[in-house]
Amino acid sequence: MIIRQGLFIGTCVFFAVLIELTLLSRLGIPGATPDLVVVTVVAIAFAMGPVQGATSGFAAGILLDLSPSSDTIVGVNAIIYLIIGFVAGFWIDPRDRTLPIMIGITALSTSAAALGTAIVDTALGGDRVNWAEVPWITLSSALYGVLFSALVIPLIARLSRPFLPDLSPSQGNLP
Amino acid sequence: MFSRRTRIILSLLVVASLSFVILDLRGGDGPFSSARSAVSSIIGGIQSGAALIFSPFTGAGEWWSTQVDQSGQIRELTVENERLNSALVSSQNDIARADQLDELLRVASVGRYLVTPAEVIAVGPSQDFAWTVSIDAGSLDGVEEDMTVINGDGLVGRVLKVYNSTSTVVLIVDPVSSVGGRVAGSQEIGIVSGTGRQNSLEFQLLDPLGEVNPGDAVVTFGSKDGRPYAPGLPIGEVVDVTGSAGQLARIATVRPYANMSQLSVVGVVVKPPREDPRDSVLPNAPLVTPTPAPAGTSVPSPANEKETAATPAPDGS
Repeated sequence: MIIRQGLFIGTCVFFAVLIELTLLSRLGIPGATPDLVVVTVVAIAFAMGPVQGATSGFAAGILLDLSPSSDTIVGVNAIIYLIIGFVAGFWIDPRDRTLPIMIGITALSTSAAALGTAIVDTALGGDRVNWAEVPWITLSSALYGVLFSALVIPLIARLSRPFLPDLSPSQGNLP
Repeated sequence: MFSRRTRIILSLLVVASLSFVILDLRGGDGPFSSARSAVSSIIGGIQSGAALIFSPFTGAGEWWSTQVDQSGQIRELTVENERLNSALVSSQNDIARADQLDELLRVASVGRYLVTPAEVIAVGPSQDFAWTVSIDAGSLDGVEEDMTVINGDGLVGRVLKVYNSTSTVVLIVDPVSSVGGRVAGSQEIGIVSGTGRQNSLEFQLLDPLGEVNPGDAVVTFGSKDGRPYAPGLPIGEVVDVTGSAGQLARIATVRPYANMSQLSVVGVVVKPPREDPRDSVLPNAPLVTPTPAPAGTSVPSPANEKETAATPAPDGS
């Protein structure tokens, strides 16, 4: 089960990174790039749990950092996404998941990712971050997060179903 | 609070990413250069495949709005239409790419730069605050670090890292980028640095009394051996000047000629021209008819007449 879950997470993360870097970041959309990777990580955390969320965040961050199109410090995105994946999975109660709440958490997560990158980058001595741009990037990132989460969260929830241990209520009502 | 397994996995992941950060911050050819080149050779190949599919959407910010109202069409017509459309889009895309290549060749032939054409295959997300892209040419194509990257409109950036079949290019609008620039026509030199915004650069004159006006074109000053920046390439046009002559903080805002959010076909300058082409490569400069020069002979160019006015200055970069 763990191996199959790992394969599922790896596939989802890989395609999210691929689409973000080759399609979304080239659309020329104003503000931040729609953060499909964070949305996917959060969706995995919602569907599967905090540990899976943290693992997928770690994998996504490392992949994004190592991709030839980025010049970031390896591990920065990994640690930010890992925390986001864990918190998102931990925060939500599996019994009352409603789409509006999940979309809200996703928006918070995408903006936290943008803000977190800016803070960590500055703290590590990078001189790339233009703080005048940060509020707009954070805000637009949240907006795109909302747009994408309505699509990605149900998709991941459905796709991940075969990889989850059977938690149907029938198990609890054993005679 | 958490189960033992959760705590173990979490702490392993946190320790792993923290040690990655520390290892990468040490700089130099750390353990990541090999990891990066392994990952990039895998990802790069897939990215160039994906870029081929997605390239019609480059810069199409409003593309999805037109997709909505196509739902109520007759099925057969839609199928037929889609097939024709995809053929049309791909042929239009081919035409656009051919046009861009022509433009690139024009710039390259006027200044007699030797370029290797490449295609942008992936762009770093703007949340990283870095303006970096990857192109589908690498060390196998003769690309090396610190080579200049141009497109049909002007200077794009320089090669930062090279892998087998892909390389990372840092664009001139990246906040860490700075290029030695020269005001076309006059000999004023200065430093053009990126601001992190896609359509503005900062140009700081070295001489505070120097003359610079909106509308002036800025070209590269050139570095030693043409690396990282070959001489004479158009950078952009001055749109605004703050501060008056004599003030120390005299900064001109320059709009780059190349559109940084719609890069597709670019060229890596493998060999800079033997002599500085001066202003002849600028978009609206009187075009010098590029005389097909037999290799090995020096070609007279209009630049030679201006040579006397050139000020001996150290190599900028």
